[in-house]
Amino acid sequence: MDDFTLQYVWAYSSRDLDTFYKISSFWGGQKGSLLFWTLLLSIYTVIVHIQNRKRNALVVPYAMVVMMTITTFFLVLLNFSTNPFEVIPVPPEDGRGLNPLLQNYWMVIHPPTLYLGYVGFTVPFAFAMAALICKNLDDSWIRLTRKWTLVSWFFLCMGNLFGAQWAYLELGWGGYWAWDPVENAAFMPLLVATAYLHSVMIQEKKDMMKIWNMSLVLLTFVMTIFGTFITRSGLIQSVHTFDEATLGYYFLAFLGVIIVICVGLILSRLSLLKSNNELDSFLSRESSFLFNNLMLLGIGFATFWGTIFPIISEAVRGVKITVGPPFYNQVNVPIGLALLALIGIGPIIAWRRATWSNLKKNFMKPLLAGLLAAGVLFPFLPLGSRSEIYSYITFVLCVFVMTTILIEFFKGAVARKSLHDEKLPEALASLVWRSKSRYGGYIVHIGVVLIFAGIAGSQSYSAHTEKRIKIGESLKVKEFTFTYERLGFIEENATKTRAIAQVGVYKDGKRVWTGQPEKEFYKGQNQPVSEVDVLSTWRQDLYLILADFGEDESATLKIYVNPMVSWIWMGGWVIAFGTMVSVWPDRLEQRRRLERMKIQSAVFSPAQE
Amino acid sequence: MNLVHLIELLFLVTILIVIGLPLFGKLPRNILFAPIDPANEEFKHLLVRKEEVLLAIKDLEFDWKTDKVSEADYSEMKHKLEGEAMTILERLDQLKAEGKKRKKK
Repeated sequence: MDDFTLQYVWAYSSRDLDTFYKISSFWGGQKGSLLFWTLLLSIYTVIVHIQNRKRNALVVPYAMVVMMTITTFFLVLLNFSTNPFEVIPVPPEDGRGLNPLLQNYWMVIHPPTLYLGYVGFTVPFAFAMAALICKNLDDSWIRLTRKWTLVSWFFLCMGNLFGAQWAYLELGWGGYWAWDPVENAAFMPLLVATAYLHSVMIQEKKDMMKIWNMSLVLLTFVMTIFGTFITRSGLIQSVHTFDEATLGYYFLAFLGVIIVICVGLILSRLSLLKSNNELDSFLSRESSFLFNNLMLLGIGFATFWGTIFPIISEAVRGVKITVGPPFYNQVNVPIGLALLALIGIGPIIAWRRATWSNLKKNFMKPLLAGLLAAGVLFPFLPLGSRSEIYSYITFVLCVFVMTTILIEFFKGAVARKSLHDEKLPEALASLVWRSKSRYGGYIVHIGVVLIFAGIAGSQSYSAHTEKRIKIGESLKVKEFTFTYERLGFIEENATKTRAIAQVGVYKDGKRVWTGQPEKEFYKGQNQPVSEVDVLSTWRQDLYLILADFGEDESATLKIYVNPMVSWIWMGGWVIAFGTMVSVWPDRLEQRRRLERMKIQSAVFSPAQE
Repeated sequence: MNLVHLIELLFLVTILIVIGLPLFGKLPRNILFAPIDPANEEFKHLLVRKEEVLLAIKDLEFDWKTDKVSEADYSEMKHKLEGEAMTILERLDQLKAEGKKRKKK
């Protein structure tokens, strides 16, 4: 681990670095992160190979070729452009150490989670390409990769959430999402993949929308490579970009080749991808999925435009500009709200064709719940700004959506109870167990609702203050009084010294918490690092930052009271649970698959999935 | 040979075994090298479609039980789906007969 003959180890590690961070420094720099990417891709390729060694002998070999070609691209980069094993002729005694900002446990969790998602999308991409190449365009490639898509989506989703949590707890600016180009780069494939996860159900059920689904899965992969291009090109400045971001042209060329091949293959197979089936009715679950796709891609396009606009502006006009959160909020928030409403509308509509009168009837209860929430919340929530109005609408929609989902569970359980003579809890459990993908999906939607509520609460109703105060002085934010009590110093080890401020927090004269925000000083680093202290409850987060301090022990404190932030993280865990339910092996489906194979092998040999 | 070289060697052998597994597996060579048979492909596709249509009928019944479709729409859609299932089953029977005939030859 302390082999400083390797330039990379010297640049990102040191002898006294904690083992935990020595592991994370593997992906802390560009070279290491590419090596980590290649390692994950190789592991995935082996798993895909083992999983499918006895399956579809037509599609699988091509998919393996595609995966290995992608691996080769990364190996070429590692060997000829950005070698992580570069040797220093005269090895130094000690390494330079890891950037202090990266020395926290989120660095160990966030990048691998995100990479597991990014790299995971190579699998459905490879199978889609394989299906196009060998003209095997029924939905077998979708079935072979369904779980890979779900799991990759899950990791990408959690990677984004972990990133937000890292930004919130480590960067010390009181927020969790800044529409930073690299955040956007991880967000865009998530949006396209979410669209794909929904529209692919239409192909499975109705054998239609093949071109659309093929395009979406290819676009998801293209977006993951685009994200990598952004971080490694040096074109856009961001907290995430690597120091030595010089690989832009390689990724741009790779991106170009992928796009040309994908478009070429889709165009050449257009006649095979066309479907004779049509939607049975405009009023159906299928069409609500189409709207959901449009919304997700709308947000995706707006985000893409905002991300690349500075590059275009600089290239065309020579003017460097930044596209900030106001642009994204103005465009994406209304579309996001429409999307939230659709999450509630979707489950009420039947597959293939819904009946208008039944739909109206089914809408009544959730609509009433929404209106009731609107009435109850109205006197308590300020509606002075656009942001506050949006948040108010979000809360109302959250109640509406949550009601539809809960009713859906209830109605399903009641229907099952009457059919199978079971008790209600038993009926509910077997309902979820027997339709894992449907109800797992609904649980994921509950998580999404919690995230929307958390964003709405924290974006519009947070309050903060920043002031230099002396020991014994107090600041008031909302109903809380923050008293600066003392400043202490701890020399943790030879390289790290901590300055800790003690802040007593009072509500109605009663002490509720003692906060200890810190500033950490690392030997050899000019900039100290802030360690925020947060008291997180379901109502709000009390968020303290020690921005600065003087010799007279006066300190500049930044204090935020952020309502409902914990709802966002809670939503993430609900999504994790829902995804687990969805991907849990379905014995009925496996039985059906074996049955199919049996029938097939009785008539045609060999039988292939 | 030091420990690192030994680990590298073990790693290499593991990779070769994993990659080479299919060559020693139980997968018959006629599967690995079988030419594409359009009838087999259609049969395989229709088996999946049959399953999907039957599941769609089940879904429709569930939607009816949970009051998402009216009785009239339910009957009409069920009739349509049963028609679809029949067409698929007829074509499957046809392919099955052809397949068995070819297998005998």
